[in-house]
Amino acid sequence: MPTIDAGDTAWVLMSIALVMLMTPGLALFYGGLVRRKNVLSTIMHSFFILGLVSVTWVLWGYTLAFGPDTGLGIIGGLDWLALEGVGASPSDVYATTVPHLAFAAFQGMFAIITPALITGAFAERKRFKAFVLFAVAWSTLVYAPVAHWVWSPDGWLVGLGVLDFAGGTVVHLSSGVAALVAALYIGRRSGLTEASTEPHDVPMTVLGAGLLWFGWFGFNAGSALGANGLAATAVVTTNTAAGMAAITWVTLSWLHRGTPSVLGAAVGAVAGLVAVTPAAGFVTPAAAVLIGLAAGAVCYGAAQLRLRSRIDDALDVFAVHGVGGALGAVATGVFATTAVNAAGLDGLLAGNPGQVGAQIVGIVAVGAYSAMATGTLLFAINLVTPIRVEDVSEEAGLDLAQHGEIAYQP
Amino acid sequence: MVLAALASFAVLLVAWIVAPGESRRPDIHDEPASQPLAVAAWPRA
Repeated sequence: MPTIDAGDTAWVLMSIALVMLMTPGLALFYGGLVRRKNVLSTIMHSFFILGLVSVTWVLWGYTLAFGPDTGLGIIGGLDWLALEGVGASPSDVYATTVPHLAFAAFQGMFAIITPALITGAFAERKRFKAFVLFAVAWSTLVYAPVAHWVWSPDGWLVGLGVLDFAGGTVVHLSSGVAALVAALYIGRRSGLTEASTEPHDVPMTVLGAGLLWFGWFGFNAGSALGANGLAATAVVTTNTAAGMAAITWVTLSWLHRGTPSVLGAAVGAVAGLVAVTPAAGFVTPAAAVLIGLAAGAVCYGAAQLRLRSRIDDALDVFAVHGVGGALGAVATGVFATTAVNAAGLDGLLAGNPGQVGAQIVGIVAVGAYSAMATGTLLFAINLVTPIRVEDVSEEAGLDLAQHGEIAYQP
Repeated sequence: MVLAALASFAVLLVAWIVAPGESRRPDIHDEPASQPLAVAAWPRA
């Protein structure tokens, strides 16, 4: 019979608050990157999702993602609808030393931030009404099943040995791929010029990145689901990769463009945090340095390629979260070692090359499903209400056109 | 109670579907020039 551990419970409850703060942090991160006429609408995407998915997660999200499997490892049943049967006692399956409700709430914070990440792709041109319907549908039909595949003990990707400590595939790859599909579907912003896409408030973005970095300790170390050595490992690997990726991105931008970009430090840190997420509880601090280096370099390259393309993924969600998430998943297959986490698996460098293959299967499965489902949802919602705002609204800015408010008085 | 909770969300969902898609017809104001320092600090290739 599982019993509650006070230390573990305190840490998980604290982690809920830390991860919750990441979504307002993301709102500021994205808000600073857009033009001043769209800052409120961009912030609103994340903040509304914080309310929306808080409710849908309790009503049906948690049971679909973590409820008893319906038989094929694809989706959970409705046993825990509205958290009925999820109480103050620990679950027999998940986080067996903390109240089941605490585990459900912790996972809910992941469910909240994942669709919020996608919003960076369609910033400055998506109709709010369409966004709301998309957020409900995507969190239900994409996030919940993918979380079940990877994190339910009966999930089909778990059965293949896919490792994802805190959401490299479930959160970042799924949202990054969805962002790419959304950017392609909705099309480029009108009248784009290089100057018109410059961030309107870099300090706001850096503040957001700082809050994300802070909250990520709950995201990754909280995923240890206990106040223990594994959580300490995750804290160190998370911080190390973030730092390494930030200084790598800055160095590359310095050499490439001639200036050490402040914005690059913020985006680079986030890229490192993304990449270390699936690996945080499976790898050593030294491996985290290499993961941070790779994340800074590869995501920087991906962002440069996107700039040269016609794809208007406005805030580079795919370059940072899609590419970073996939990179981190592969790196987990390379660097994982049971010397760090006996409950995990060894990776390539610990004598198990097959783990890289398992990780690639996970990447392909999650990426393909997210792409197909996202495209289908956008098509269906576009039949109900146009996804994109009218040209005159886009020109005026979504703050005024969609919300009747402006961020800054003239 | 569970049904009541689901129903309350369903009411909001219907409201979102029937709500106006554009809040109001906007008056267009020119976007102020971009931040010169930002442009200077992060020039595009």
